[in-house]
Amino acid sequence: MCKEYDVVVIGAVAIGTSVAYHLAKAGYSTAILERGDVASGSSSHCDAVALICDKLPGIDTKMGQASIDYFAEIADEFEYDFEYVPKGCLYVCETQTEFDAASDYCAKQNADGYALRMVGREELCEMEPHIAKDLAGALYTPESGAIAVSPYKLCFAFIHEGRKYGLECYTYCDITKINLDAKTNQVESIETNYGTIKTKRIVNCAGAWAPFVGKLTGLTIPIEPRKGTNLVSEQTERLCNHKILEYGYMLSKFDSINFKRKVSPLVEEQNIAFNLEYTPSNNLLVGGNRLFRDYDIRSEIETLKAISERALRFFPELADIKCIRAYSGVRPFVIDHLPIVSDVDSIPGYYIAAGHEGDGICFSPVTGRFMEQIISGKPTDFDISKLDFARFS
Amino acid sequence: MSTELSDDMIVCRCEEVTVREIKEAIHEGARDIVGVKRRTRAGMGLCQGRTCEKLVQQILVQELGIHPKEAGTSSARPPVRPVTFGELAKGEVL
Ligand SMILES: Cc1cc2nc3c(=O)[nH]c(=O)nc-3n(C[C@H](O)[C@H](O)[C@H](O)COP(=O)(O)OP(=O)(O)OC[C@H]3O[C@@H](n4cnc5c(N)ncnc54)[C@H](O)[C@@H]3O)c2cc1C
Repeated sequence: MCKEYDVVVIGAVAIGTSVAYHLAKAGYSTAILERGDVASGSSSHCDAVALICDKLPGIDTKMGQASIDYFAEIADEFEYDFEYVPKGCLYVCETQTEFDAASDYCAKQNADGYALRMVGREELCEMEPHIAKDLAGALYTPESGAIAVSPYKLCFAFIHEGRKYGLECYTYCDITKINLDAKTNQVESIETNYGTIKTKRIVNCAGAWAPFVGKLTGLTIPIEPRKGTNLVSEQTERLCNHKILEYGYMLSKFDSINFKRKVSPLVEEQNIAFNLEYTPSNNLLVGGNRLFRDYDIRSEIETLKAISERALRFFPELADIKCIRAYSGVRPFVIDHLPIVSDVDSIPGYYIAAGHEGDGICFSPVTGRFMEQIISGKPTDFDISKLDFARFS
Repeated sequence: MSTELSDDMIVCRCEEVTVREIKEAIHEGARDIVGVKRRTRAGMGLCQGRTCEKLVQQILVQELGIHPKEAGTSSARPPVRPVTFGELAKGEVL
């Protein structure tokens, strides 16, 4: 029997599940295909925060804020609990130089209307009693701009809610071929181990693997895997009250920002940026770094050492807390640090929503909504022409 | 092993996950140990599945009629035993 859908989404993690949910809700008959289990991609190997303060001023921040607002809405509306928690975030500055750089950033974001503010050393120590006492201060983002969710529950939630609108989900699905019309290049069907699925529209949401799906129809999609590692502590008392990042994180994320930190060669070489988060199950997540290692997500001993070393600089009490596990994942990296949320001029019916690097969880809800608007030919909530695939041609 | 496990029995003691919760996860689509873990937290606690993995495997085999090998194992993640961040930073235990 040949199956047929209005739209087929490829990849069932943070981005794909949101896209599929939004399309099903808008009335399209929708299927989502995943080569593993739901939530098996990078979204199960990451942290789970959505912040505006780790974004560059402009569209990056605008999308972040739109998504954070949207998270609050769906957390209320969805039956499936994805552990939405407003958190607040502190970007801690080790030195006065960092504090000054953070103050500039804060001023730019304030000018755009975002409620960030700088806090001095004393206030920082009040907000975070366990933090090192010799830091210069921090950039504070209130709960309205910094939340956390469970990344895999988010995926299960979108599937659960999508099914109410008829969404069909095929896991352990291998795609062998995508057929295009010989004359028009229009998408026609997908061949899989479940048989041939007819559809006029596909959305490539395969994250760091989107280039491989692209190749099936001769598309070059410039996304590369950028590795990150986290350490998980035993269940412990809450060492922190907010999501904590070091301001140097900006430096590890964006190569356009350059100032040198006083760190050991190991921390430098491993491109470590400290971040700390507590989970609803009372574990601490201690991270992190950014490295290019192809698709290899084995944990590296040197990384574990470097992350621990850097973490102790900010939270000395970690020295006596046990680490029970480490994990790594790959972020879908794009050279201009913006995702691709777009149609594809050369292949009618082909859409891409991928390349969200370190923000795939954060941008998940808003990406789903944009993709539905693009496919329906509606205007998007705001101008997202910067996310167009055509920018690479 | 073919012994019936009672639904209220706790399989993962670290995270207090019961047989019933594991069966529910399987019915929601989990096909292997990692899939069960993501849905229930079984195997995510202090012992990292050392005790419960065999039992989870047994339930998967019974519910899905698969071979134990198909149930897989959870990914091996360092460190092999809990060590403090202090020890890790010094690199003494690696
Ligand atoms: C250490 C770390 C920390 C992070 N922290 C955060 C954070 O705090 N906040 C945040 O917003 N983001 C964070 N991220 C980034 C986030 O994980 C990614 O941006 C996000 O997972 C990308 O989601 P995705 O759905 O695009 O891709 P993925 O999650 O990678 O999903 C792609 C899916 O496509 C499937 N697929 C691939 N090829 C095929 C095929 N041929 N057929 C069918 N299916 C296929 C894959 O199996 C996979 O399941 C972090 C990442 C890392 C590594």
